[in-house]
Amino acid sequence: MALAREIYRAFESIVGSRNISEDLGIRETYRCIPAQSSAHFGPYDQKTPLPQAVILPGSTEEVQQIVKLCNKYKIEFKASSTFWATMGYIGSDCAIQLDMRRMREIEIDAKNMTAVVEPYAIGATVQAEAMKRGLTLNIPGVGCSSSPLASTAGWAGFGPTSIFMGCATENMLGAEWVLPSGETLRTGSVGAGSGWFCGEGPGPSTRGILRGVVGTTGTMGVCTKVAIRLHPWPGPDHIPSVGDAPAYRAVLPDNFKGYTLCFPDWGAYANAVNLFHENPDILFLGHRQYNKFGRNLKVAMIKILNDKNKQLCDLPALMEDPVTKKQNEDMKIDVQVILAGMSKRDMAFKEKAVDTILEETGGWKSEFMQEPDIAAWNLMYLLRLGHKNLNYTLCGAYEGTFGLTGNVFVSSSLMEEASALKRKWELESDCIAAVGGDSDMGSISVMGGGGATGWEFFTQFDAYDKESIKNTKLFADATQEWMTSKGLGVDFCRWNEDARRPDGYNYTQEQHDEMYINLPQPHVTAYQYKVREAFNPNKLTGSYYRTLTPEKLKEQD
Amino acid sequence: MALEDYRAMMERCSNCSGCKWIPFDKIKSQRFSENCPSISYYNFNTHSARGRFQLAQTLLDGDCEFSPDVVEAIHNCTACGSCDSTCKITRYNLEPLDHNLALKAKAVEEGYALPEQKPIMDSLQQEKTMLPGELRSNRLHWASGIDVKDLMKEKGEVAFYPGCKYSYNEKLKPVAANALKLLINAGADVGIFGSADMCCAGRALQMGFENDYEQQAKANMEVFTKSGVSVIVTPCSDCYHAFKRQYAKLGLDIKVMHLVEYLDELIQDEKLVMKNRVPMTVTYHDPCHLGRLGEAYVPWEGKEKKILNQVHTWEPRRPRYNGADGIYDAPRRILQSIPGVELVEMERIREYTWCCGAGGGCSQTNPEFASWTANERITEANATGAEAMVTACPWCEESFMNAKDEDGNTIQVVHLIDLVLQAI
Amino acid sequence: MDNVKASLSNIVGGENLLDSPEILLGYAKDQSFVKEMKPWCVVKPKDADQVEALVKWANKARIPLVPVSSQGPHTRGDTVPGAPEAVIVDVSNLKKIHSINRQHRMAVIEPGVTYGELQAALAEKGLALSTSLAPRAGKSVLTSVLEVEPRINAVHQWSYSDPLRCMEVIWGDGVRMYTGEAGGGVRDLEKQWEKERWQVASTGPMMFDFYRMLTSAQGTMGIVTWASVKLEVLPQIHRMYFVPAQQLSELEDFVRRVVRLRFSDELFVLNGAALAGLMGETPEEIAKLREQLPPWIALVGIAGRDLLPELRVETQEQDIKEIAQQFALKMVPGLAGITGEQALAAVTGSSDETGWKARAKGAYQEIFFVTTQDKAPGFVETMKALAAEAGYPANEMGVYVQPQHMGTSCHLEFILPYDSNNPKETAKVKRLFQKASETMVGMGGFFARPYGPWAYLQLNRDAQSYKTIQELKRIFDPEGIMNPGKLTI
Repeated sequence: MALAREIYRAFESIVGSRNISEDLGIRETYRCIPAQSSAHFGPYDQKTPLPQAVILPGSTEEVQQIVKLCNKYKIEFKASSTFWATMGYIGSDCAIQLDMRRMREIEIDAKNMTAVVEPYAIGATVQAEAMKRGLTLNIPGVGCSSSPLASTAGWAGFGPTSIFMGCATENMLGAEWVLPSGETLRTGSVGAGSGWFCGEGPGPSTRGILRGVVGTTGTMGVCTKVAIRLHPWPGPDHIPSVGDAPAYRAVLPDNFKGYTLCFPDWGAYANAVNLFHENPDILFLGHRQYNKFGRNLKVAMIKILNDKNKQLCDLPALMEDPVTKKQNEDMKIDVQVILAGMSKRDMAFKEKAVDTILEETGGWKSEFMQEPDIAAWNLMYLLRLGHKNLNYTLCGAYEGTFGLTGNVFVSSSLMEEASALKRKWELESDCIAAVGGDSDMGSISVMGGGGATGWEFFTQFDAYDKESIKNTKLFADATQEWMTSKGLGVDFCRWNEDARRPDGYNYTQEQHDEMYINLPQPHVTAYQYKVREAFNPNKLTGSYYRTLTPEKLKEQD
Repeated sequence: MALEDYRAMMERCSNCSGCKWIPFDKIKSQRFSENCPSISYYNFNTHSARGRFQLAQTLLDGDCEFSPDVVEAIHNCTACGSCDSTCKITRYNLEPLDHNLALKAKAVEEGYALPEQKPIMDSLQQEKTMLPGELRSNRLHWASGIDVKDLMKEKGEVAFYPGCKYSYNEKLKPVAANALKLLINAGADVGIFGSADMCCAGRALQMGFENDYEQQAKANMEVFTKSGVSVIVTPCSDCYHAFKRQYAKLGLDIKVMHLVEYLDELIQDEKLVMKNRVPMTVTYHDPCHLGRLGEAYVPWEGKEKKILNQVHTWEPRRPRYNGADGIYDAPRRILQSIPGVELVEMERIREYTWCCGAGGGCSQTNPEFASWTANERITEANATGAEAMVTACPWCEESFMNAKDEDGNTIQVVHLIDLVLQAI
Repeated sequence: MDNVKASLSNIVGGENLLDSPEILLGYAKDQSFVKEMKPWCVVKPKDADQVEALVKWANKARIPLVPVSSQGPHTRGDTVPGAPEAVIVDVSNLKKIHSINRQHRMAVIEPGVTYGELQAALAEKGLALSTSLAPRAGKSVLTSVLEVEPRINAVHQWSYSDPLRCMEVIWGDGVRMYTGEAGGGVRDLEKQWEKERWQVASTGPMMFDFYRMLTSAQGTMGIVTWASVKLEVLPQIHRMYFVPAQQLSELEDFVRRVVRLRFSDELFVLNGAALAGLMGETPEEIAKLREQLPPWIALVGIAGRDLLPELRVETQEQDIKEIAQQFALKMVPGLAGITGEQALAAVTGSSDETGWKARAKGAYQEIFFVTTQDKAPGFVETMKALAAEAGYPANEMGVYVQPQHMGTSCHLEFILPYDSNNPKETAKVKRLFQKASETMVGMGGFFARPYGPWAYLQLNRDAQSYKTIQELKRIFDPEGIMNPGKLTI
């Protein structure tokens, strides 16, 4: 199926022939294969639908014209910035894909600590520009190759620095947004022409339409600019580095220190995390990072990553090495933290605070992680989050399972049980990598100032191996069953399971009605239905926006 | 490896977009953060390493054909390997560059070469150069007047191999001549291949013409072997890469050095002394094929082996080319040894250098794209405040001589050898 | 109408339906210049069930409801009916503190709970709530956070609306639901607590931010019957310092630097008149203090809580002192006879019933909006000129600059004390209020909380936003019964 000539030419006249394609081969590279990409709805070896055309707009005005045409011709559309995840792709056969890479401006207001960013400005570039002005930003856990605008507008947006800097929703200031109806909404002070500093009001905040606990994954139109809050960077104007690829190491002054804090048990861990939440000024960053490789692998992997001559084939020998084993055991229950001193005194206070918390909870610092080269590598890794694709390194694909996000006392008390379940699958089925069960990782807090942890178990599988994909799905079923039995809600890899069907297509309204009528508070989705009706009257953006036909509630009554 | 053999890599690419940027740890600005000229210029995902992995899956599955747009996307890759280096910051089991070349080869094999490639390949067949219009009979004009051994007639230890660009380009010929004279004056037992001197054909491989490449490579290897030289020194990074990395796969067993390595050794051994002051602020452009693609070939034969259930490795250990051991320090040491020269670095250097645009045959098949790529580099060079850009590759040099930055300014382009000549 | 009153009475009980002229008059106007309008009656529900029933009743009866949480005297016109025959829903009797959780530092409170009541209860558990600047004694905490009154500790304000988190709301259409994290679970707090869910996250629960429909909405979308708020650990050591300056611009870089480095707890700037108004007990004392105090003062609070309290306070004292020195300023423990301790008590404690701003002359008008710190001096100069032009004594005008949201913006407030019994003075202030409001909006002052006439001034500047707000209002209050006349052009 192809767009009618008249329609294609209309789109072409907006962006120019260079920035639109309907070539089959080109369009095929805009289909997502969830097993090969970040999916958040389970591993599926099935492509998302083929877009009718791929369009690369260069300005808000072009976006607006495209969206208006989509409304005129009833063509679905979805915009994506970096195409990291399945949610950025279309979900029906009558749809076009907007690739936002031509819009990448970054404008920094250093005085007021804000950056106005376009969709294809990525975390790494915003950070580089911000650091020149003594500032930095919260980069979500997915890493610095992701777009801050996308994580603000499209998804969750929390990460290692969220305890200090807050998450995407907290950092979102003014926004410029082409609604699905084709109208351009500028929130807060932006709409009033007063600047980008405030995304709220006047009166009730229209930005409520643009994202909730997560963003609208491209279903509420196209965010073309967003102002984000920046945070202090008490370091040089860029992070100087040394070392051969891939082990780049940061050269930073003494006011930056990275530690791996280790604990004798999960109770002590939870108490320590709670103390950091209670004293949110101490940590610049807090993340359980390297455990993503697995409890049995993490030190071996860190050694591989720090030696240009080592490879994954060195894992077994390293894992058997007694020194490595001891180091690994030492940091079995761990979290990586970075302290950034705003002054010498401040640094001394923060160091003392960490030591006091360790003392109170019986914790210690990993000596291995403080070896100079490892420590410098660790600083570079965590401060820039430029190696986040190591998430996929072991097998080429992963899904986040369990998803013990929320109350740290609840999740940490279940950690060993979850680990045991995963370990059982590792030993009894070869579908997932055998890493020692516990491969839990995530932020010490998903929100500014503490409050809830953001944990998932990285489950590595082989996207090239159909059996591995199929059985990993079964493993995800088992983890969900366990989650449900513990009253923990939805598994991390299923956050979007209700948004896109396993075949890659949108759900119908009837299917969504069946799902959402059973929510504990179904009015949530009924209101979202009304919001969609108001701002997306032609329903052009797919089923990631969760809606329940309000009449179904009346039927239920 | 045939394209089909990359299937596992295609499906194990995780769509992270790392292939579109220099290593994230190294990004210092928005302006100079991207690494791949192809996606940067064309913007469609198809033009990235990830896009090519996905395109190849689709082609192999029969879900699309070699349409004109697809063919152009496949060939508009400068084969600079920047995607390869950045991918390998985090991945141990993908080979994006090899895959890009296999995809080109597949297109060529299926009859989907670019029309612009035909005269280049015809020239290789007929005149043993990939510079159409140049005649084999004129190949040695650059060396006229230099008293140098013909290695096909008398023995010598070192072969000086200038490559096509230095042999034919009027502006660049003096570089080759000066380099040879410098080697002779430094006491090297050096010669040239005389009438047996031919194109290295590295660019044939970069364009997907595997058979033509192999045929030419074998012919050259026969010449090299027959001459009995123990070292081949070339000032051309393309030729260097061809010999060092590619010919080695075919069995070449002669030491290959780039001129900068040879000069560096001469300086270290104090056989070459920099006496004169050359007051100049320069920036150095790392040629892709000398830097990240300049690592030596290590023979390997083996197969994939999964460990820990699903972790894929190779048995035995497979060599890993990630650019870490490319030739970066030798040219910089030479520059630092020249009194008065101040080196200021661009943002994209060493294994994450930005391509000059000439790679993959693009300067000949798609001058508009190649020229944009070179212009980008000039913008970056001018941002350093340097007076001149130094490089060590004739393709880069030619690209930059014709390029302008985003404000329309040029920069003086200098081969390293010229600076050395001024200094000695 | 008697039938209608009877049905109302059935919902709240006869004793909680008030319609005596004196009482109605009390709700018909406030200190603002918003037009007086008498409500039809006042109801005082005792719980959320009654509120829900009231809203459902109002939908059927098509009768406007005006929610009121704080005790009077009100000052901003938002609780003065904007439509005739309105029923005031006074929820100030909903005074339960449903929970205080020390481990998670969260509390769930009803709308009638005041700062004084809450802080006392929290202190018993070693906790405290960040506060707006010396709130009125009768101020509802819930309203204060819902209306996003600026907090005095910007560095701990990760979210613009911190410390507000989840809520129970009865929307204008009568639907009762929880917002934020609480909206994802069953609508039963006890059951959520059993599962160790403490209503921590404000957003969502899905892709729509329900709570943002209620913030700064002046009760036009629904009635909130509880809210969860994020708490802090009660300081063991808590000190306040003064950094005096001759010009506001001299303090700008200092404040910016301190906030940027995340130092301090409380941090804001007052002019001499404002600080005098805050600290003086009587008009005379205030006038005297005004003479004694420097033109501008940054107030810096530093707290030491459970973890290394002495070291934290000492560290910050030294660092902030040095920052002050870098900008040729001095951080001092007392000023014009006011000690840091006294200032801290005034700032963080509750004010009297009428509020500290009224102490100078019995009444006051406020003009406040959001801007950035770098622009504040320009607004202040303009305001001074306008005051002079209007014949208002500029030296009596209070100015309050409150960095918010970690310093990315600031709340700028002008306080105009006057004698409301003096008609001439009142008329003068009214003219100044109107003109200054118009001028400030024109200069880019962003009235994020557009009370009274500001709604017209601000909403008129952005047609698309206004249209969007109207669309949202139609979703959550389709019959338009919630505080009609507010937030309209």
